[in-house]
Amino acid sequence: MMREPLWRYNLIKSLLFVLPILIVLQMVRIKVNPRQVEKIISEGKTYSGEYQTVTPARGQIYDRWGHQLAGNKTVYEVGIELRRVRNPETIAQTLNLVLDIDYVEALGVASLEPSETAVYRVVASNVTQEKVDQLGLLIQQMNELYGSRRDKNAPSLNGLLFKPHLQRTYPEKELASNILGFVNREGLGFYGVEEKYNDLLAGDESTIWVSLDPSRVQELPEIPEGASLVLTIDRAIQRSMENVIDSAIKESGSESGTIVVIDPKTGELIAMATTPRLNINEYWKYGQIFTDETPYNKGVSQAYETGSVYKVFTMASALDNGAVTPETTFLDTGVFEIGGTRIYNWNMGAWGPQNMQGCLQHSLNVCLAWVAKQLGPKDFYAYMQAFGIGHLTGIDLAGEVPGRLKIPGDEDWYDADLGTNAFGQGVSATPLQMAAGIAALANDGKMMAPHIVRSVVNDGYQHDIEKRIVGMPIKAETAVLMTKMLARSLETESSDALVTGYRLAGKTGTAEIPTPFGYTTNETNASFVGWGPIDDPQFLVYVWLERPQSSPWGSVVAAPVFREAVEELVVLMDLPPDDIRSDLYSD
Amino acid sequence: MNQIDNITQAYSQAPWRKQLQFIGLFSLFLVFIALVAGIYLNVSARTAKVGRDIQYMKKQIETLDREIEDKQSQLAYLLSDREMGKRAQSLGYEPLGMNEAKFLPVPGHLGRKPAVLAPYLHNDLIGAPIIPKEYTEPLFDWLKKQSGWISFTLPEITP
Repeated sequence: MMREPLWRYNLIKSLLFVLPILIVLQMVRIKVNPRQVEKIISEGKTYSGEYQTVTPARGQIYDRWGHQLAGNKTVYEVGIELRRVRNPETIAQTLNLVLDIDYVEALGVASLEPSETAVYRVVASNVTQEKVDQLGLLIQQMNELYGSRRDKNAPSLNGLLFKPHLQRTYPEKELASNILGFVNREGLGFYGVEEKYNDLLAGDESTIWVSLDPSRVQELPEIPEGASLVLTIDRAIQRSMENVIDSAIKESGSESGTIVVIDPKTGELIAMATTPRLNINEYWKYGQIFTDETPYNKGVSQAYETGSVYKVFTMASALDNGAVTPETTFLDTGVFEIGGTRIYNWNMGAWGPQNMQGCLQHSLNVCLAWVAKQLGPKDFYAYMQAFGIGHLTGIDLAGEVPGRLKIPGDEDWYDADLGTNAFGQGVSATPLQMAAGIAALANDGKMMAPHIVRSVVNDGYQHDIEKRIVGMPIKAETAVLMTKMLARSLETESSDALVTGYRLAGKTGTAEIPTPFGYTTNETNASFVGWGPIDDPQFLVYVWLERPQSSPWGSVVAAPVFREAVEELVVLMDLPPDDIRSDLYSD
Repeated sequence: MNQIDNITQAYSQAPWRKQLQFIGLFSLFLVFIALVAGIYLNVSARTAKVGRDIQYMKKQIETLDREIEDKQSQLAYLLSDREMGKRAQSLGYEPLGMNEAKFLPVPGHLGRKPAVLAPYLHNDLIGAPIIPKEYTEPLFDWLKKQSGWISFTLPEITP
């Protein structure tokens, strides 16, 4: 009777004796095995906290007046936490019904066996708030109806999770889409400002350790938001120019069209309207709209042979160099031979004796080829390079191309090129390059760096981008002289580009299109460049219509587009007519 | 000697007293431990609660940040050029043509100013409050000034 309790005491004693020994042994085993130590520490860390990637909100983009052009909105990632799934069929049916996800696909994901590698699966990204609200309501109803049931087959949406995050949104939809570019699901900017300033807008993503132990919560480091940008673009002018170019394309039957509006005094891009355009909230439709390698922004990404608008450069260079003066007379016989190539006028006619004003006014190829010859290839190409032809303008937009300017010494440069280049053939440039170069004529010979970002808002402060002179290709007197000559040309020709009340300078351009088999005869590129008011230029407008069908001539299709653009501009820019302005100044 | 034994016996504690004393001390020790544990638990609980509050507030900040972004985007959409145009048209407004524009000189009007979304860095420096010298100068200098102490410099010694 007395032995039984003793046996029990002995067992307890032995256990108490052995247990500490086992604990000590385990401690020693852990201590002497570094792998075990690491494993245990990492396991401990798994439960004590987690690494979180903090993605700062992408900076916003505004027009020059502070209207938002690009912002962010909340969207959700919908996923399934496999461990918590009770009824995969209900989840698959719900996802199919609300998010239009293939039932079989959803069922496959929801039915996955949870394991160390299969914990959570994403089933949909960028789901809108409305859809998530619908899902939330279904979950709530499901819980109310079947939540208390222990039946395994009871409908259940357990395991369905939503994680919110920010996604780019563009309130103006397709407005200025060619300038803005877009951001994909991974948060990477493509084209335009979004690509050029991707790093600045996106900010620095950082991964931080967050303790799950509430007593060890620490202050998270401040992750600075992405910088916001204020563009030089005027939203109202941009919309207006887009409307003008759209209707011009419709009326002329052109393949595409581009209008560039630039402030010649600062190089600020006020508007750049081009086609095609995309509703950048649906950027995935890019492939349907931009087919056959169509550039995203033809204003900066497509160089073309501009034709006679290029004569502005030739004449300005020759006048600046002193090779000719406005009074220099040239006898136009209708043909000029240079480097073994014969050059003819646009109407194949002979215009007789002409001074330089007449050469520009009648846009005579023969005369301009002669002028280039007077200037000589060395000076001619030096001037062209000074005007930025053949070089990138350096505008802060992604995808800019430099065009092509062959120069003496290049394998494919021939003497004849001097003659053809003089009137814009055999040399290609983007609309922006042309606008930026010609803007020197409207700004006393000073060429400003074209730019689209006006200010950067970073760390709570605004920093303005300073205007920058990139060169002075011609003297101020030459610029003023050329402006007057071109203004007179428009007035004498009673051009369709004239705008009542405003004195403007401008030049048309009609260019045949080069193909592998020579120049096209029935298709052209029609252009027009103009600026004003000439005594105090506030804008320079460059118009390009690609392959117009109603008429091949720039003077017929492009000049009226310039006029329409200016008629809109003067209202939107609050520019009074010249007489009112002079009255104001005299007061 | 016997007397001493008697005195010792008289003053020595009874066994039940010793037990009571031991129990008392042990209880005191337990109470102390319980107090320390209680304080520790209280502090840990409060810390944990504050920690949870911080975690909750962090989530709230994230949610509010997203809400702000959402609201800004919604506002931008409502104020977008197309939407404003539609609203203006429904109210009977028409786009102004070049020939309809009337220009009036407005004294002092300098035109529309481009957007300023945040202060400029240099503005802050200019706008910084000027602290009176009394708050920044050394005490000794202030005392000298107050007492009208005139400092003299030694005249240049010429050989």
